[in-house]
Amino acid sequence: MAQLTAFSYRSGNSYAHALDVRIKLILLMLVSLAVMDAGPTALGVMSLCLMILVRYLHLPLKSVCVELRYFLILLALVFIARSLSTAGDPLIVWKWLTISREGMKAGAVVVWRIMLVVLVGLTFVATTRPTEIKAAVEWFLKPVPLIPRARIGTMIGLVLRFIPLIFTQAGETLDAQRARAVEHRKNPYYRLTKFVIPFFRRTFETADKLAVAMEARCYSENRTNPQFSARRRDFMVLAVCAVFCCLIFLF
Amino acid sequence: MDTSRQLHMTVYAALFAALTAVGAYLAIPIGPVPIVLQNLFVLLTGLLLGSRWGLAAVGIYLLAGACGLPVFAGGMGGIGRLIGPTGGYLLGYLPAVYLIGLISEKSDQRTVFDVLAMLCGSIIVYACGVTWLKVVSGMSWSKTLALGMYPFLIGDALKIAVAVPIAKALRPLIQVPKSRATISREDNSQPVTRK
Repeated sequence: MAQLTAFSYRSGNSYAHALDVRIKLILLMLVSLAVMDAGPTALGVMSLCLMILVRYLHLPLKSVCVELRYFLILLALVFIARSLSTAGDPLIVWKWLTISREGMKAGAVVVWRIMLVVLVGLTFVATTRPTEIKAAVEWFLKPVPLIPRARIGTMIGLVLRFIPLIFTQAGETLDAQRARAVEHRKNPYYRLTKFVIPFFRRTFETADKLAVAMEARCYSENRTNPQFSARRRDFMVLAVCAVFCCLIFLF
Repeated sequence: MDTSRQLHMTVYAALFAALTAVGAYLAIPIGPVPIVLQNLFVLLTGLLLGSRWGLAAVGIYLLAGACGLPVFAGGMGGIGRLIGPTGGYLLGYLPAVYLIGLISEKSDQRTVFDVLAMLCGSIIVYACGVTWLKVVSGMSWSKTLALGMYPFLIGDALKIAVAVPIAKALRPLIQVPKSRATISREDNSQPVTRK
């Protein structure tokens, strides 16, 4: 798992890289809040902006999709669950299953939202060094007393790293099971245990390796954080985004 | 606790926060409160990491969610979720995980006590969640219970049943810091094999 993944920092000197990390973190929060409130029109506008940003940053969309394939399967499941469980005008009726028009719509919007948030997170992680994320979280926690700020910053950064990793691990474990012809086993209990235990084992071994690697590189909590400097254009970006999000909240 | 141990536990706590977030993605909406795998991971966090680090893991998870990272049910995030109708369940994870960790630490990790710990944890989650749901939504007690608790009980029993073998299989991998006596006794009885 040590190889370079799409969910890692890509060096560059684009505008998105130069933006103050604290501003970027606020933007991330604003956008993910706004997305949850947005209807199809606003989602369309946001997707367009994001697509332009992704093109501009030259993020490899293809390899991102390949890496997200297991996540896409999950999204499909979410879509199916939503369209089955939402009541409304029936579209397809098959035995006791009813797929309603409202359900399809609700499912599509939910999937679209999740997809957008993941893409926003991806652009954030791709343009921000982990140390900068940690430092920014620390900066925001400054007014809160009595908590280990540095450790919390590190842990938030680690959580961001782990989420895509867990999806990859789950997918690889599924592949390994399939290679061992698990489809021939009908017992769901057998299949579940043979998936869950190796999956957790692998994930923990990865985490263990990460901890050892950090230790080997003399990780310590009290290190000098990068300096922040917010310039005028940073605040302008923030203002534009804030206005846009307010528009979404209002309408 | 030496620094190496502490670093390992930090990474594990972050991993559990991430696992909880992943478990929250697949949310099946059946009313105001969705069915999620999230609480399975919260139970496991308590059992495997113990009280202190379990609390840290759940705290980080909630903080990440409050910051707007998409870690709550159905890929939602934001502070609005924490004070929204289902926020009580999320905040209830904190005392629940602490209690689970505490019981499993004190009881020398016997299966009966693990199950008991998880039962207590689930009760706390529901106590916080249902009360908050009632206060926010203003429904009657019977309706709140019908929407916010009864549909999940079978699922929770299943989750507890699944958590026991997982915790058994993973404990040797993690080795939560225990008192010195327990460690030396365990080292003699069952050496931990690693690849």
